[in-house]
Amino acid sequence: MSPDGIVESVSTGRTPIIRFDHASFGFPGLIALKDISLSIYDGEFVGVIGPNGSGKTTLCRAVLGLLPPVEGHLHIFDCACNELRCHHRAQIGYLPQKGVVDRNFPVTVLETVMMGRYGALGLLKRPGKKDRQIAMEALAQVSMESHKDTALGHLSGGQQQRVFIARALAQQPKVLILDEPTTGLDITMQHNVIELVQHLHDELKLTVLLITHDINMIRSRVDRLVLLKTRLYAAGPPAEVLKPEILHQVYGKELVITEKDLVIVEDYHHHH
Amino acid sequence: MLDFLAYDFMQRSLLAAAMVGGLCSVIGVFVVLRGLAFVGAGTSHAAFAGVALGYLMGWPPLLLAILFGLATVWITGWVEERGRMKLDVSIGILYTTTMALGILFIGLMKTYNAEVYGYLFGSVLSVTPEELRIIGALSVLVLSLLLLFAKELYFIAFDQEMAEASGVPARQMFFLLLTLVALTVVVSLKTVGAILVFAMILIPASTAYQLTHSLSTLTLYSAFIGITTSVLGVLISAIWDIPSGPAIVLLATALFFTAILFSPKRVRRTGVVHSH
Repeated sequence: MSPDGIVESVSTGRTPIIRFDHASFGFPGLIALKDISLSIYDGEFVGVIGPNGSGKTTLCRAVLGLLPPVEGHLHIFDCACNELRCHHRAQIGYLPQKGVVDRNFPVTVLETVMMGRYGALGLLKRPGKKDRQIAMEALAQVSMESHKDTALGHLSGGQQQRVFIARALAQQPKVLILDEPTTGLDITMQHNVIELVQHLHDELKLTVLLITHDINMIRSRVDRLVLLKTRLYAAGPPAEVLKPEILHQVYGKELVITEKDLVIVEDYHHHH
Repeated sequence: MLDFLAYDFMQRSLLAAAMVGGLCSVIGVFVVLRGLAFVGAGTSHAAFAGVALGYLMGWPPLLLAILFGLATVWITGWVEERGRMKLDVSIGILYTTTMALGILFIGLMKTYNAEVYGYLFGSVLSVTPEELRIIGALSVLVLSLLLLFAKELYFIAFDQEMAEASGVPARQMFFLLLTLVALTVVVSLKTVGAILVFAMILIPASTAYQLTHSLSTLTLYSAFIGITTSVLGVLISAIWDIPSGPAIVLLATALFFTAILFSPKRVRRTGVVHSH
């Protein structure tokens, strides 16, 4: 299945819930991801790494069914991605990259989390006691229940991130996708958020797809790392993926490896 | 002094103003939050072109206004979705083109038609019982649809992609919102006029936005401000014999600036700047 030179070790005996089969994404002439073959299994904690513009966010949008492949196939829950229905999407919790959401939007914490229920509820149905309870449980999972009536805009960046994670949890998802959840947070908060994600994975048996540029933060926590740069360079346990010869191919000069074998990626934060 | 309240026409116009004020201010909440302010402006001019064509050809003006309005919002929505052109550019072009059409249609009329100008500047005091019924029916329709799909519309206003990602039919809801904006504009043409309807959609919601952090409170405040300023505006216009459209809009504007002065958000925003 895998093209030559690609490390892909997969655990057998489990069901893949997301399956890319030679799938390419983007627009004709501007391919963001090319010829991806990858299976993600139920209950896995997968870290997605790669330089800026390597197609990490495109991978997220693809799994959410927002972007059908231009070539190849993508199956989610055994359902072709372009046939993905609303109720399938509701099973995928998503934390978009920061800055996508208007922070001054007049909305309280609980109202934000309740939005996570809307997809599963369907049209014309009002959220009831049970939905409120699910939303409160999700807030408790991220330790934000005491802020339920606070305006979202009044919270710190890290707290807002927790609320958005709670909204994803309120969907009672099978899969949780987080796109750079630590961007713009201070170091303590970054660790808090990653620890929370790990806790949710362990506790709720969630399949987690965590996109990040901070390899050190996640290398000891994830089951597998997926290394992208338009193509899939490697997918496997961190020890197999984080090898100098593989990393140099992808990061080139941006990569510095210290004596303690710590991988530091000089990702210059190309903010636009 | 308030003897005029006994007149039928006065009661009709107060009722029309209250309905239009309430309707515009409620849909205005979604328009402001979703960032569609200029869509309202573009649509009102397109709807006016429809009215002018109706009078020119002897076809029902409100029907054509609806057709023109819907065509404009759907083209706008389609262009935004495609991301091919900046929204302000596409609306700017549609806005001026439809206005040019409106002026052309008026120019082609052989005689001066005062009624057409009524749609441009608003003439709430001349609302007929039939028009009142149309306004009522369309208001009920738009408000019921808003109520039925409120949770989805709030969600797409908050973050459309997020809404779509979490299983809400976001694209359909976006086009529903655009359609409701077009209908609201048409309903309001007669009372506040094509030029000022935009203000009635924008100002009450923006005023309420200054005052609260909760979605439901925002909607309630906005509706209250919209209805109150519309009714007061009509009363003022009757008492002092000034045009009703400007009276309503200027009253709402005065309230808007008052709200900005006393806004709890404004105080907070200054605080944030200092903390950085």
